Amino acid sequence: MTGDAAVGTDDLFENAPCGLLVTTTDDVVIRTNQTFLDWTGFSAGDVVGRDFHYLLDPGSQAFYATRYQAELWARGAIREVAFTLIRADGTPMPILVNAEMPSQADPASAVVRVAIFDSTVRHDYEREMLTAKRLAETSESSLRVLQEASTRFLAASTDVELSAELASIARDAFAASEVAVLLADEHGTFRVDTGAKNEQMIRQLVEAWPIDPLSITADAVISIESLDQAYAESPRVGDLLRKLRTEALTAVPIAEGDRILGAIVCFFGRPRALDQQVLELQRALARQASLVLSRVRLQNQLERLARYDQLTGLANRTLVTERISQALKVSRSRENSIAIIFIDLDGFKLINDRLGHRVGDMVLQTVSDRMRAAVRDTDIVGRFGGDEFVILCEDADEDAALAIAHRLAAAVRAPIPTLAADFRVTASVGVALHASDSRRFETSDSLVRRADAAMYESKRSGSDHMTVSAS
Amino acid sequence: MIRLWDEGDTVGDRGQDALRRNNVRITGNPDGQPILFVHGFGGSQETWHAMTPEFEADYRVILMDHVGSGDSDVSAYDRAKYDSLHGYVDDLLEIIETLTLHDVVFVGHSVSALMGVLAVNRAPELFDRLVLVGPSPRYIDADGYVGGFSQEAIDDLLNSLDSNYLGWSSAMASTLMGNAERPELRTTLEESIRTIDPAIASQFARVTFLSDNRRDLADVTVPALVLQSTEDVIASYEVGKYVHENIPNSEFVLMESRGHLPNLSHPAEVSRHIKAFLG
Repeated sequence: MTGDAAVGTDDLFENAPCGLLVTTTDDVVIRTNQTFLDWTGFSAGDVVGRDFHYLLDPGSQAFYATRYQAELWARGAIREVAFTLIRADGTPMPILVNAEMPSQADPASAVVRVAIFDSTVRHDYEREMLTAKRLAETSESSLRVLQEASTRFLAASTDVELSAELASIARDAFAASEVAVLLADEHGTFRVDTGAKNEQMIRQLVEAWPIDPLSITADAVISIESLDQAYAESPRVGDLLRKLRTEALTAVPIAEGDRILGAIVCFFGRPRALDQQVLELQRALARQASLVLSRVRLQNQLERLARYDQLTGLANRTLVTERISQALKVSRSRENSIAIIFIDLDGFKLINDRLGHRVGDMVLQTVSDRMRAAVRDTDIVGRFGGDEFVILCEDADEDAALAIAHRLAAAVRAPIPTLAADFRVTASVGVALHASDSRRFETSDSLVRRADAAMYESKRSGSDHMTVSAS
Repeated sequence: MIRLWDEGDTVGDRGQDALRRNNVRITGNPDGQPILFVHGFGGSQETWHAMTPEFEADYRVILMDHVGSGDSDVSAYDRAKYDSLHGYVDDLLEIIETLTLHDVVFVGHSVSALMGVLAVNRAPELFDRLVLVGPSPRYIDADGYVGGFSQEAIDDLLNSLDSNYLGWSSAMASTLMGNAERPELRTTLEESIRTIDPAIASQFARVTFLSDNRRDLADVTVPALVLQSTEDVIASYEVGKYVHENIPNSEFVLMESRGHLPNLSHPAEVSRHIKAFLG
């Protein structure tokens, strides 16, 4: 028969299929079983009287001292925490730990009971799983960022909108405390439209940075991982970053071929290891943004083309009509009167027929420039076609409207130096007024028709006349 | 008596949001000097539960949970904001300003001791004193500096945290240890450390263990007390000494308590030293 010794409590403790320890609540080992000593290669004297956690590797010790201890004090129990223990011969041994700390009346006699399981196989499997999980999460999250960017960029129709979306996406994707987006406008000046705070930060950075902007190429990436690195770059940059509560920084150019269109600048509040994955994702975002920027700008250009007269640069009929409609809407609430001035050039047909279209074009351009200079900043001069012009004056009463109309007539009347003396251009002017409290229902068409009719009256009276249509 | 804030205090909507967000609780003497207890990584305001009774007679005791810990409003967690200590410091200053506190005593444990350093540097006019329990301004060794950990060790730690959180929620749900002796304390403490979102814990761990705030120590202008545990593997004696030597007007006390959580394991001793410091 199997002896009682095999099932005696002593044997159960000493030779249990797991390591068993008892420690004080301060983690000092009081007693261990034989299994533990066999597994670890320690003798009782090595372990008893020592802090248990010193048997663990440094990473485990840190986890022990923070989360593990807090949990033990909170619940009085720990289940299945993974540690790595360092054996007597220095080799690592992955373990799973269960522990219990029953509360006792006398703290001096309080103990913790610990059970240790060898989890070498499980550990390797878990680490593999963890690595795979992390890898999957990383590529999945990169993909998600780019997909989301793609969707959100679709809606952007201006530079500013694009900047805002890009900054928001970058902020989330990289957990950056601030993201600034720089974009060059059509004059080549870089602007920051992502908020006054980070615009300030960029300004200060550009001042302090000893980098020649002309030397930045389309594939350059600036990356600072810590304040130490910043200070190594230059004390000025280091101090500035500290002031900005920034300890790491990346800057990625937005480029179209070799041309730099802008940059995405991420600010981080702590040191960051900026690995390839992060930089690749930033580059990918920048490439996407570049494409969207091209689209946005092309779109804007087309819209401009559709609303402005190519020859004179004046607003075209579509745009003027739109503006008049808007002005009518606003007129009542703002108590603004509106004036429409319709101008037809006298003598223009003759010039075109006798002197040719090139001269005719030049006359139109000259007259257009002069008319633009003759009106207020808020007025719009538009070309309705041929030699007809419509001017919208918002917030102009009768006196103001007439003053503007006279200035316009004078501008057209003034001699054009390159033109032969026989050929004179003057304006037949019609003015239609719409008072803010007018009870008359007006549309932009009806207003323009009234002005046109008034202009026709002027034409019938001869050249260079002005007629006002009563409102 | 625990109440959210004093009746009659009017705080704006935003202020109310801040107090709710951080599960702010105020106890103690409403006329006393305010003392703000800030927990460290892995804990919550309940890690101070054994100490706060010592202060309630004479001080106005303010407790809070960092967003993502304890009973804070997890929906307020923002990966970009909380990617560094600065986001947490913003919250602390917002709480202090919302409650219109002055002459605040900041008691910070572990990483929150460094939040105290940053808070005091940003708004010295709000603070009277700073108590740092088990502080470390940088955990990774560097040239001429002993943080206590190599880069590999910290990487190991972060891996270890990630793998231990793998099954965390389920493990926690199954370990309700009803205990006869002090069940009410156990339950409160246990519930407050109940579930930490693994993603948040992972990021908070990185913020804690990868930060470097050595430069900020020299800027502290209020009197400071460094409380050092014997045998603290996270914040060793050398590190505690470093902190003391770099904060201009500071005292250093080596306690008998052992381990990194003296506020839990030796609350009476920690309280005694703080009281002596406050005078």
